Amino acid sequence: MGAWGFVFLAYGIVWCAILIYWLTLKRRLRRAETELAQLRASQESQKNVQT
Amino acid sequence: MAEISKTSVKSKGYLGALALIGVLLGLYWGLLHAPPDAYQGEVQRIMYLHIPSILTAYLSFFLVFVGSCLYLWKREKRDDILAYSAAEIGALFTALTIVEGSIWGKPTWGVWWTWDARLTLTAILLLIFAGYLMLRSLTDDENRAASAAAVLGIIGFLDIPLIHMSVYWWRTLHQPPSILRPDKAPWDNVHPAMLTALAINFVGFVLLYFYLLSRRFRLGEINEEIKARLLNRNN
Repeated sequence: MGAWGFVFLAYGIVWCAILIYWLTLKRRLRRAETELAQLRASQESQKNVQT
Repeated sequence: MAEISKTSVKSKGYLGALALIGVLLGLYWGLLHAPPDAYQGEVQRIMYLHIPSILTAYLSFFLVFVGSCLYLWKREKRDDILAYSAAEIGALFTALTIVEGSIWGKPTWGVWWTWDARLTLTAILLLIFAGYLMLRSLTDDENRAASAAAVLGIIGFLDIPLIHMSVYWWRTLHQPPSILRPDKAPWDNVHPAMLTALAINFVGFVLLYFYLLSRRFRLGEINEEIKARLLNRNN
């Protein structure tokens, strides 16, 4: 492998790993936000029924 | 509350955009603008990733240290979330540092890996924080896990001065630092065009780090609120 081959291998691995982490984090965050919204809505409706 | 949330989302959007600009500028400067090294040639461009990665990992483990100390002292959940979030991203940047160093080492040293003091201590740092993350997911008692992880986070941070000083204390294959040298300023040691490329990449990495940290911290806050609401409902 030539010098540029090593350079592109390093840059490729690093930016792919960071992109994958960012996408995974985004998905985890969206899932948690949905779960929290559903939980809040169900607790609100329970409160309304009780009152 | 909705206003605060909107402002927070907006500021994170700006931080994300700034990080993207910083990263793109860093790529341009590192790959196209900076000259090749007189001895190492083009392979030296890997340093524009390697040095910002390890400095970002150091910054991250400093935040783990601060968050862990504050958690053990005040027992506030926000400090634990900060330490946990910083540990996750710090472990990623440490792993990337080892990979970049290995790819640079093959054409420069002739080997992918050697049991050099600095390399071994960096691998130990990664193992400590991999252990930190495993500890969080393996224990059911969350407060106990947070306390044990905080102690491990403090111990892990103590590895960083060892990593930094290892090239002075032991005979190593890894060269002494070019930027954080006690005897020379960076501009006396590195060509200005290379130093600029390094500085731009470092700023880009730090902006990206704080953007990722803000998202990971938010995830931790939401997970805490979910746990609190579920606990409230079950009681």
